[in-house]
Amino acid sequence: MSIFNLQTKIDGIMAQFHQSGDIASRMLEKEKGKLGFVYLKSMTDQELFATAIYRALQNYDGTIDADSLQNKVLQGNDIKEIKEDEIIENISKGGIIIFIEGESKILSVDLLKYPTRTPSEPPTSPVIQGPREGFVEDIKTNVTLLRRRIHSKDLVFKTLNVGKYSNTQIMVSYIDGIADKKIVDEVIKKLKKIDIDGIVDSFYILTFLEKRPDSIFKQVGNTEKPDIVAGKMLEGRVAIIVDNSPIVLTVPFVLLEEMQSSNDYYTNHHYSSFVRVIRLLGLLVAIMSPGLYLALELHHYNILPLNFLITIADTTQGLPFTPFIEIMFIFILFQMLYEVSLRLPSYLGLATSVVGALILGDTGVKAGLISPPGVIVVALAKIALYTIPEQSSQISILQVIFIFIGGSLGLAGLVTGIVYFVTYLNGLDSFDTPYLAPYSPRIPSDLKDGIFKRPVTEMKTRPRSIKNKNKVRLK
Amino acid sequence: MNRTISLRQTGMIVVMMILANKILLLPSLLFKTVKTDGVFVVASLFLIDLLVLGVFIKLKLAYPNQKLLDVLNANIGKIATKIIYTVFMVFFLFKVFLTYSIAFMYLKQQVYQNEFTIIAIIAVLPVINHAVLSGLRTFSRTIELFYYIAIGFFMTCLIIALGSFKQTPSFFVAQPGDFGLALVKNVFSFGDYLFLFLVMDKIELEKKDIKKLLKFVFFGIFLVLSLFFIYYSIYQVTSFMHNYAIADILTITVEFNAIGRLDIVAMVTIMLLSLFQMMIFHYAFSECFVGVFNKLNKIFAVAVFDVLFLLIYYILIGRYEVMVIYVETWLPYFAMVADYLVPIVFLGISCKKGEKSTKNINKVEEGGYKGDYVTEFEGEEVSEKSVLETIEIVLKQQNQKEEKENAENDERQTDKSATNRKAKNSAKLSTEK
Repeated sequence: MSIFNLQTKIDGIMAQFHQSGDIASRMLEKEKGKLGFVYLKSMTDQELFATAIYRALQNYDGTIDADSLQNKVLQGNDIKEIKEDEIIENISKGGIIIFIEGESKILSVDLLKYPTRTPSEPPTSPVIQGPREGFVEDIKTNVTLLRRRIHSKDLVFKTLNVGKYSNTQIMVSYIDGIADKKIVDEVIKKLKKIDIDGIVDSFYILTFLEKRPDSIFKQVGNTEKPDIVAGKMLEGRVAIIVDNSPIVLTVPFVLLEEMQSSNDYYTNHHYSSFVRVIRLLGLLVAIMSPGLYLALELHHYNILPLNFLITIADTTQGLPFTPFIEIMFIFILFQMLYEVSLRLPSYLGLATSVVGALILGDTGVKAGLISPPGVIVVALAKIALYTIPEQSSQISILQVIFIFIGGSLGLAGLVTGIVYFVTYLNGLDSFDTPYLAPYSPRIPSDLKDGIFKRPVTEMKTRPRSIKNKNKVRLK
Repeated sequence: MNRTISLRQTGMIVVMMILANKILLLPSLLFKTVKTDGVFVVASLFLIDLLVLGVFIKLKLAYPNQKLLDVLNANIGKIATKIIYTVFMVFFLFKVFLTYSIAFMYLKQQVYQNEFTIIAIIAVLPVINHAVLSGLRTFSRTIELFYYIAIGFFMTCLIIALGSFKQTPSFFVAQPGDFGLALVKNVFSFGDYLFLFLVMDKIELEKKDIKKLLKFVFFGIFLVLSLFFIYYSIYQVTSFMHNYAIADILTITVEFNAIGRLDIVAMVTIMLLSLFQMMIFHYAFSECFVGVFNKLNKIFAVAVFDVLFLLIYYILIGRYEVMVIYVETWLPYFAMVADYLVPIVFLGISCKKGEKSTKNINKVEEGGYKGDYVTEFEGEEVSEKSVLETIEIVLKQQNQKEEKENAENDERQTDKSATNRKAKNSAKLSTEK
């Protein structure tokens, strides 16, 4: 390759990157040969490039060929020989491509550097006791966080690249010897099938892993905590780590997982059981209370205790809206406040609460537009919703559905609605694991980590609901 | 692949069936004919039904993992099978009507103040349709999840009602003729085990499991008899005035001012039990429909069911009360055929065990079971093994047959060669002569 060819080659690559502002090239002329470098300034450690590569090569007086560079000059670096069709991919991933005049071999040195944040406690799952580390956007850090928890040769990370433009790195992680190979293969197969422009976050691939993506119920687990992922992999689950996302996905998934928190495993099992019962109650209150209130008020007021009935009748008398419209109005108001509080800067959060709770709520009641029981019921439902924050979006939809059912059909409608949804959930599965396991179907051994948790000493087997190779986890 | 349900789930379904159509109207209807001896009428009908259960167990053990349809086709022919399935289809269709009518007659009169028939049908039909299309395993799991809630609520009703227990009712007051008439008139409320015949290929039942199944059966019977006993004890001679037994045993105890109406517990129990019973009966209807019209699938069955349901309700019957009249007039005679005569046919078939069992290879279930799973959980198994076993038996038999035929051919050949030799010898002899 002549110097002209070297320059042409570099220009060709620069052209492929559309002369982007962050693509750079350099030439180094030595007595014994010429070198060309191409890299992305935004993705590489330029200081390291200057000291460890450029200066080292400037000071080197030996023969300039690929073997000498690999074995003598740049041996301390992550250097590899690549093929011509791998050049673009390597540059995109923070590699510095080295062309040598007169050599057909192309070298790539990995000097990837981009801003990352250090692992910190994720805002979605804080703990009182237990590890506070959370996943970050950098996939390498996330892999390290898992490796630190499972020091085993059987911890496997299979790498895939998905996304036509993003070419996002995805790692399928599992413990060989525990995870079922069929599940691993199915996950990889589903990921390989994805033909999409780009993967920006792990949630992009979530729906591809679900059997019924149109369902409002999620069928893939997600967490920001490495200790939870490690625990799940030890149960036979498969983790999917996506570059640039702090959320790691896990499959198979069962609804019970939403009742479990990492806190439960770091406290006394009696307390964990108590908290899980509260969460279950919270779930039921969140879904049912507005619909139940409407059913009682509209259809079955005669089954209420007399004193309670009088109180409700007193407070709801003279309202301009029907009970159904009143509850829907308060519900939408709460939902709006929630959305606003999510998007507003934190210093405005207090102002939102004041406006929402005091001005709208209190004044609405005083003005006789809405009733205090209505506000209490919807507020209770909305607070209860956050006993299981991961399911808040699904529960919000269910709340609306049950408001309609309770309002139109009363108690019989609510019972029918519950039976319908439970049957629907029983029809769902995540990688052949029944969604409502271990309660429906009942799997006695798995109940030890159910609503009523048993101590770790009693959990001698891995969950039967999840297919796995090795059943015993404690001897 | 044929997905089965666990014995536990089967037992729970059986309890649901035993409670079906017996906990609301039946106690007061029986009281009108035989007074408090209604308990004995129910007990007698339970005994007769137990014989049907016996037939089921015998048939199931004789033809493990085989579809009733295949067994009947092989033993009594396709036309007779279709007739039986049609009878079943009508039986289960009216069973759904009865369950629906009684439950919603109660809701309309006791719980709701306004007319809600259309909304009720709109609410119920999609739920039971969805359950049927999801498959037996899916709705069995739903029943499994709600079983303890429904039974817990039922028992709560009984326990609360015990607080109003006055005195043991006086029994043996009915005339034998009335007793017999009551037996005949109320047959339609029974036939609790017919459903099992239709899903016999999807149930895991071996000889060792019979005791476990019987535990569920006797538990269900105990619940019904307890309800009858408590109901007659509370209301004594006025029992005929209180039409909704499970709810009415609570209304007498209502402390309205303090804790509100307690019959809300009964209402939830009735709703849950009615829904599950309708699911089971509707599923049975669909199984029969697919059995009769082989080329149509479950979606058709569900659509036909919905059309028939609405048509009969609004054109032929029109009012819930008429259904109750039908239950006491012509439906019992129809039920006697479906519930007792047809199982006798099954008994005959089961006696033929061994003669034709290998003829019927268990057919692989196709379609309509989108909610079922391949994974095994506590008795829920995939009975591929049985299919393979049956194929093995057939292959063995074929081999044996071939061997037999070969042996016979050999024999024939040896016979032939012997006759040839004889003929040759005689020819030789004659030429020598």
